[in-house]
Amino acid sequence: MDVLAKNLTKRYGDKTILNIDELELKQGVITGVIGPNGSGKSTLMKVIAGLDKEFEGMLQINGQTADQTAYRDMTLVFQKPYLINSDVYHNIAYPLKLRGQTKQQIAEKTEKVIELLQLKAILQQNARTLSGGEGQKVALARAIVFEPKLLLLDEPTANIDPQSMQLMEDAIQYIHQKCRTTIVLVTHNIRQLQRVCHEAVFMREGRTEQRGTVEAVLKSIKGNYLGELLEQELQI
Amino acid sequence: MDYIMQGFGEAFRLLLSFDKEIYGIILLTLYVTTMSTLIASCIAVPLGILAGIKNFRFKKTVIRLLYTLMSMPPVIAGLFVFLVLSRRGPLGQLELLFTPTAMILAQVLLVTPIIMGVTYNSTREKGPSVRQLAHTLGADRLQSLGLLLFELRADILGAVVSGYGRAISEVGAVMLVGGNIKGHTRVMTTSIAMLQSMGDYSQAIAIGVVLLGLSFVVNSILYQGQRVI
Repeated sequence: MDVLAKNLTKRYGDKTILNIDELELKQGVITGVIGPNGSGKSTLMKVIAGLDKEFEGMLQINGQTADQTAYRDMTLVFQKPYLINSDVYHNIAYPLKLRGQTKQQIAEKTEKVIELLQLKAILQQNARTLSGGEGQKVALARAIVFEPKLLLLDEPTANIDPQSMQLMEDAIQYIHQKCRTTIVLVTHNIRQLQRVCHEAVFMREGRTEQRGTVEAVLKSIKGNYLGELLEQELQI
Repeated sequence: MDYIMQGFGEAFRLLLSFDKEIYGIILLTLYVTTMSTLIASCIAVPLGILAGIKNFRFKKTVIRLLYTLMSMPPVIAGLFVFLVLSRRGPLGQLELLFTPTAMILAQVLLVTPIIMGVTYNSTREKGPSVRQLAHTLGADRLQSLGLLLFELRADILGAVVSGYGRAISEVGAVMLVGGNIKGHTRVMTTSIAMLQSMGDYSQAIAIGVVLLGLSFVVNSILYQGQRVI
């Protein structure tokens, strides 16, 4: 799934939250989005996902204005995901049920993501009783189980242990390789950016300041931001 | 103190003696409260959800009015229904005054704002997250509503329990529109009020104990349901 944004502006009152001249997310590319807090990363995710439709400018999905069909092929995972008040299995199977898949299909598809993210032990547990990290894994499993064409991830691995982070990164790579899914990953973790992403976008004050390969973008970032990121990483 | 103990003894004696009048009162109480809660739920739950997820003109005023009606004194609801159903009222020709139907109507008027208010608050609290999730997982409008209802199930049951509690404990409205007619519109709360005024404390306590027991059983069932779902 290709995404093209041109002259995209989003305002809250007098404040401009997004001001993007041009941003293209190509089919099958994993793009990492980095930038300081308040730089508009999450707003960008919400705008692309269709959760925020009050913006100016152009946003096209596969060359057309996004509609319900396009939204059905994409998903967005938040850092603090909302989990359905039911067991973990129901949470993961829910998108497949929405798409009218058979029990057999549901069983096969869920089994794979359950194995990938090692969720078997907690399948019968109510999702609301899970720890933050477990909840994030369940949310990712729920997002990739229906094989979306565009996967938007807003800090999905923030505040989780290295082992779970590795599992989640493997799951992201798996869905990318299997379906050539276009993936946008918002992260504050440089090593994760280097491990997972093909391209990177650096955002500041609502603008996409740098864009290119991960290494090129990292080299071009001036000021303290890179230092801050490294500092955060060392605490992990 | 004796007459209080006597009252408790009388309660068991009445129940075990299968007194026709007492069981008639219990059944009518259950009928009126269950029907009024059911009807009120059918009206209030969709309206509460709608008010929670939609923005419309004068919404703030509507919500303020709703909160006011949630604490409406039962006698006012009773008086309103009485005036509407009385012979000179707009629905006087239906001859519903002093019937169980009138009592149900009065209780519907009392219970609907409670169920709607609780449902509205839950929807307002959970609605945005649920709808956001439904959208990101590709749900259409109907599926999104289905998920919202699923997520609100315990809250809706809680709202119904609150409404039922109001209905079963209410005396003013049913007294006004029902008239406490023996064998016809006499329910447990109106019986207690009447027996107390007659100085028959034993019987009043007896029916009070039964009412409390009944309320406990019904609420236990609903509470259990809330935990299970």
